Amino acid sequence: MVPIGVQTKSIVFDSDPAVGFRLMKQAGFSCGDFSLNAYLTNLDLYQQKGNHFFDQSDEALQRFFAPHKQEAQKAGIQINQMHMPYPNYVPNGSKKLNDYLWNVVAPKSMKICWFFHCPYIVVHGFKLARNLGSEEAEWRQTEAFLHFLAPMAKEFGITICIENIYNQWGGHIVEGPCCNARVAAERIDRINSQYQAEVLGFCFDTGHGNLVGLDFEDFITTLGHRLKVLHIHDNDGIGDLHQIPFTFTKTRENTASTDWEGFIRGLKRIRFEGVLSFETAPVLTAFPEEMKEMVLTFLAGIGRHFAEKLSGTK
Amino acid sequence: MRIVCSPSGIIHPKLPKQGVLDLTNAGFEHIALELDWCCSGYELENFGKDPEPNPWEDDQDDSREHSETQTDHPNEEEWISVLDDPSEMERRFEQMIRVCHSKGLDVPVARAPYLLRETEREDLYETLLWLHKECIRYCKKVGCGFLIIPPPFFGNRCENEWEENRKYYLNLASAAYENQITILLPNQCRNQNGHLIRGVFSDAAIVANQIDQLNREACMETFHGFHEGKEGRQSNAFASDPIFGFCMDVGICSLCGQDMYQFAFALGNRVKAVILRDCDGQQESSLLPFSCVYQGQPKTDWLGLIRGLRQIGFDGDLLLDIRDTAFSFSPLLRPGLLALAQSTAQYMKWQIEIENLLKKYGSIVLFGAGNMCRNYMKCYGEQYPPLFTCDNNQARWGSRFCGLEIKPPEALKQLPDNCGIFICNIYYREIQQQLLDMGIQNIEFFNDEYMPSFHFDRLKGV
Repeated sequence: MVPIGVQTKSIVFDSDPAVGFRLMKQAGFSCGDFSLNAYLTNLDLYQQKGNHFFDQSDEALQRFFAPHKQEAQKAGIQINQMHMPYPNYVPNGSKKLNDYLWNVVAPKSMKICWFFHCPYIVVHGFKLARNLGSEEAEWRQTEAFLHFLAPMAKEFGITICIENIYNQWGGHIVEGPCCNARVAAERIDRINSQYQAEVLGFCFDTGHGNLVGLDFEDFITTLGHRLKVLHIHDNDGIGDLHQIPFTFTKTRENTASTDWEGFIRGLKRIRFEGVLSFETAPVLTAFPEEMKEMVLTFLAGIGRHFAEKLSGTK
Repeated sequence: MRIVCSPSGIIHPKLPKQGVLDLTNAGFEHIALELDWCCSGYELENFGKDPEPNPWEDDQDDSREHSETQTDHPNEEEWISVLDDPSEMERRFEQMIRVCHSKGLDVPVARAPYLLRETEREDLYETLLWLHKECIRYCKKVGCGFLIIPPPFFGNRCENEWEENRKYYLNLASAAYENQITILLPNQCRNQNGHLIRGVFSDAAIVANQIDQLNREACMETFHGFHEGKEGRQSNAFASDPIFGFCMDVGICSLCGQDMYQFAFALGNRVKAVILRDCDGQQESSLLPFSCVYQGQPKTDWLGLIRGLRQIGFDGDLLLDIRDTAFSFSPLLRPGLLALAQSTAQYMKWQIEIENLLKKYGSIVLFGAGNMCRNYMKCYGEQYPPLFTCDNNQARWGSRFCGLEIKPPEALKQLPDNCGIFICNIYYREIQQQLLDMGIQNIEFFNDEYMPSFHFDRLKGV
């Protein structure tokens, strides 16, 4: 059966990483999505607020993360994927801020990923279509960024995963970067062939896909082997809630309004062998702290259900 | 580009005079023909089924008595389905069409009856095919050139939905050819347990190929028929006047969170009609554009739509569907609503065709030296370079802005006859009055809300 993972945000804390990793293991996870983005949050970045975490030298950062790495190993949790801080470009941000995100935060994130022996790092494409006029023009900027990171990815044996993300109009979520699987697949193949290495892959985010009405099965099937990483979570089709799968219904019959069957069919069709990784940190802050282990155990149970469906044992 | 208004919520087919009057008074010249009025999705769903007896229904005599008290209300009239009586289609619309034509309203586009999204009927292929052929013939009769026909196979009902839909549309091709009708395929959504997600024809790149395939195959079939003596359009007309095209439903795009620029761009000149309607992005509705907002921001990506239609040089039918807004307004307010709807559609057309306005003049001068002028210069300055700009601020006269000399308004009196003066300032009407008072002509408005691209910043203090 494929492994099950969860993001470390709201589970693993810098003060004592061992506790969090042990909790993940006890709950039934064997993999972790290391939330590097928690060290420079998107909320701060969009407000043009920064911090100096990534100013630290490579050695200092490695020293900082050494306990996390060690305790993950000790607990039997493999850090299989991590999330680079995002956005990597703030449209109305200062040149100083955007240069810092590009030249400091991104390469240091790659080095931290390498330090963890983590094979995949998830990045967000730049959200610039409104200003530049089209998704193609927007992608050119994202691609320039990816080309900046690609040699490092090749050297470190890391695959950078672009993720389907969204834009908003009057609170209504619409597709943003990387929401066209066919186009993404072409771009991934082109770039990988240029570097003669798998420097680029895809991270499919179920919640974002649900918000913009993607056909999960079709999307996953089109991506095929390029799909490396998952962000599994659920929502009501309106807001990016990062909740537990199967939570939301919209009819009197109370059947799931997210197409989880299509999700599994898609993964099955491409013979997905990666990690069923949940990106559900908001669930942990929503439930009382005392219920955290129970909630994580429940999540892992859903992961096992998916895994059994995938392996055909259910 | 034609602006076509759906009569839903506005005209009653049996009592059409007031609705037609409201539409013509508002300035509309074209209406759509909603053929599902003669056969709704519910009627199709129940076609051929014996009605189940309802033990809780009132006695027949009582209900008749009740209905007789309501006969002056058009909604209570007896409703005969075209499935029971084929002549009903013509009878149903006869009066409305006659009144429309007498008032100068024509009917360039129609929407065919369709199956419910949640249909359980898989046995209606022949019935639908017959019905849609009847619609095609009726369209020809009333001078309607475009018929929107939703796919009969969709969602989980059919594993190989494209193959089935392809066969279905090809079965309609010769009727369309003979009657000189273009069949438009509309984008659809799928119901995932109450959540509307992308369905048939919602992947623009794929549907573009499918339409091309249909036209190729239809061309081969109908060309053969033509040589066997059938009447219809000439085979060499297919390139410019194909049998199949696309109808882009903005409401469906919005419900499915789609990037409308990319959507329109991928379909290109296959887009023959656009259904213009607003919704909240969650529930299907047909509202007046710009009316669904949150904190002052529209919920529909009008920027992407306008950019996309501009990019493909859209010149088809803008089908305004505001049925839900119209239904919710009192008939007393409807004339005002329709005037606003007409202005809104005209504004869309104006935005989409904004370059045509710039091309109209031999030379151009701008009025205003702020952000709108800057945006003009970014997007159009190279292709349509202004002679200069002017501003009411005396302190700026003689200086330069975005490569343009800023002159006083008095300089506008020296312009050649074929020079257009474009007001680049949101105080349009105030400036327009100032220029009219100066005896200036060729005054036009420019607008930078839906530009092809934007600066990352806004200048302050200009």
